Amino acid sequence: MSKILIVDDDPDFVLAMRMALEANGFEVEAAMTPEEGISKVLSAEPALVLLDIMMPSGNEGFKVVRSIREEHNLKDLPIIVLTNVHKSRGTPYRFAPDQDYLPVEAFLDKSTDADAVVDAIQQALGERREEPGYPL
Amino acid sequence: MKRADVVVVGGSAAGLTAAITARRHYPDKSILLIRKEKQVLIPCGIPYIFGTVGSPDKNLIGDAVLEKNNIELLLATANDIDREGKTLRTTEGDIGYERLIVAAGSRPAMLPIPGFELDGVYAVVKDVEYLSGLQKRLETVKDVVIIGGGFIGIEFADEINKSGDKSVTVVEIAPHCLGLAYDEELCVEMEDVLKSRGISICTSAKVDRIEGNGKVEKVLLSSGDELKAELVILGIGAVANVDLAQKAGLRLGLTGGIAVDRTMQTSDENIYACGDCAEKISFFGGRPSPLKLASIATLEARIAGANLFGVRRENVGTVGVWSTAVDNHALATAGLTEKMARDRGYDVVAVTIQGPNRHPGTMPGAVPTKVKLVFECNTGVILGGQVMGDSTAGEIINAISACVQNRMTAENMAMFQTGTHPALTASPIAYHMVNAAEMAMKQMRERGA
Repeated sequence: MSKILIVDDDPDFVLAMRMALEANGFEVEAAMTPEEGISKVLSAEPALVLLDIMMPSGNEGFKVVRSIREEHNLKDLPIIVLTNVHKSRGTPYRFAPDQDYLPVEAFLDKSTDADAVVDAIQQALGERREEPGYPL
Repeated sequence: MKRADVVVVGGSAAGLTAAITARRHYPDKSILLIRKEKQVLIPCGIPYIFGTVGSPDKNLIGDAVLEKNNIELLLATANDIDREGKTLRTTEGDIGYERLIVAAGSRPAMLPIPGFELDGVYAVVKDVEYLSGLQKRLETVKDVVIIGGGFIGIEFADEINKSGDKSVTVVEIAPHCLGLAYDEELCVEMEDVLKSRGISICTSAKVDRIEGNGKVEKVLLSSGDELKAELVILGIGAVANVDLAQKAGLRLGLTGGIAVDRTMQTSDENIYACGDCAEKISFFGGRPSPLKLASIATLEARIAGANLFGVRRENVGTVGVWSTAVDNHALATAGLTEKMARDRGYDVVAVTIQGPNRHPGTMPGAVPTKVKLVFECNTGVILGGQVMGDSTAGEIINAISACVQNRMTAENMAMFQTGTHPALTASPIAYHMVNAAEMAMKQMRERGA
């Protein structure tokens, strides 16, 4: 059972995500602030981090990514960003994984269907194989 | 409720081409194209707005082609798809469809560099109003920093530099500009061309942060160097626009695009996707490909539009053929570079031939032209090619791309029946492509392949 750390300051969202992940067999830890998030990355040793950006309204999540990758040198810990940053700011651009500037596995909007988030987690953890569209 | 047999979402290169293709293949079907933009920009022409072309208004795709092809246009935003009811929900009401093509394009990528939200930081947004704002802002600044040394970055740099009153710097994190698509020796030549035109190039340079008091004032590199900047443009690529597809529960692919099969059908049999929003696979090996080019988008659109009511075409994967130009210096590529081929494990023979593109070389317009071809040593199959020269490079690479796509061998290419003319082409005795193929075969023989 893989442990997922949710770092998000929205308790309702954390609860909903926890239920979705636990229903799919994951163990869930949660952190409500960036600082607590970093602390639990080190203490709880999660298999993957599900990370918000605006905690509460700035770009705190980006700093968490930098801290995990650069200060703590955890290059292989999968990170999936799950955020409302595009919608809430109405940006004409999108953030996306970048090996140099944003080294995360996926960058998803919070409107993403929970099943699709689980798919992305399973892919990042190597727990999912593509299934054939038709019987072979 | 309004209905159409074929509904296309998106009016840029992919959407337009898909609608026209559908019309060609299904003359009796009603076709409706929905887009939100009043005016549609020619994507590849965007850098030229800031120099050669002069304004966004002069870089537009006209709507006459829609009328000519009996395609109805609706200006609206598509909000959701009721897949069960085969209905598209838009700001102008619901629209029923038999087949839906999603050609929603892409959005420019942004990097979370501290300071990215400062006034004066721009992405390359395909929007007339946004780019008009950028153009106006450019008139008031002197120091411009462009982050990203791909083709968008260098084309922006050269066009902005044409005003003659600006200091333009390109910052590229890789060792060379254009390094993702060209071998090092050709990248170096293009960098030299840019430098000779007064553009500063910082390679192997990571941006640490952008600073300013409300407005951009400088860009700080990880090396500690500072670049004065009143305006920053990010030209670092694009991200598939999958909002509509994601909301409708369509499957996404590994690079985040809408998952499609070789017929461009999505996980819903009545919905097709093409262009920047669709997931791509490489022609070489079939792995997911991040490439987003108008040439790929229109190919996919020609496949999607043809297959709506029966499979007629299949996608062989993305070859990756494109060119760029700075002044009269063009650089063009198709398929794999020598480095890419070696990195992927191919046993490679690479040959570069240089000579004038006219014969004799004293003919007007003659310029040195370099053609590099990359072959797989054991089979002799061409894997890719690169051309450096004048504007003729753009069409030479298309011929090379046809060879790549048809998996031609060095022997096939050595046996080309080439048409040549002193005022138009290289000499028949020293035709670059043919001679490169001959030289490659010699090397293969010497290696016992």
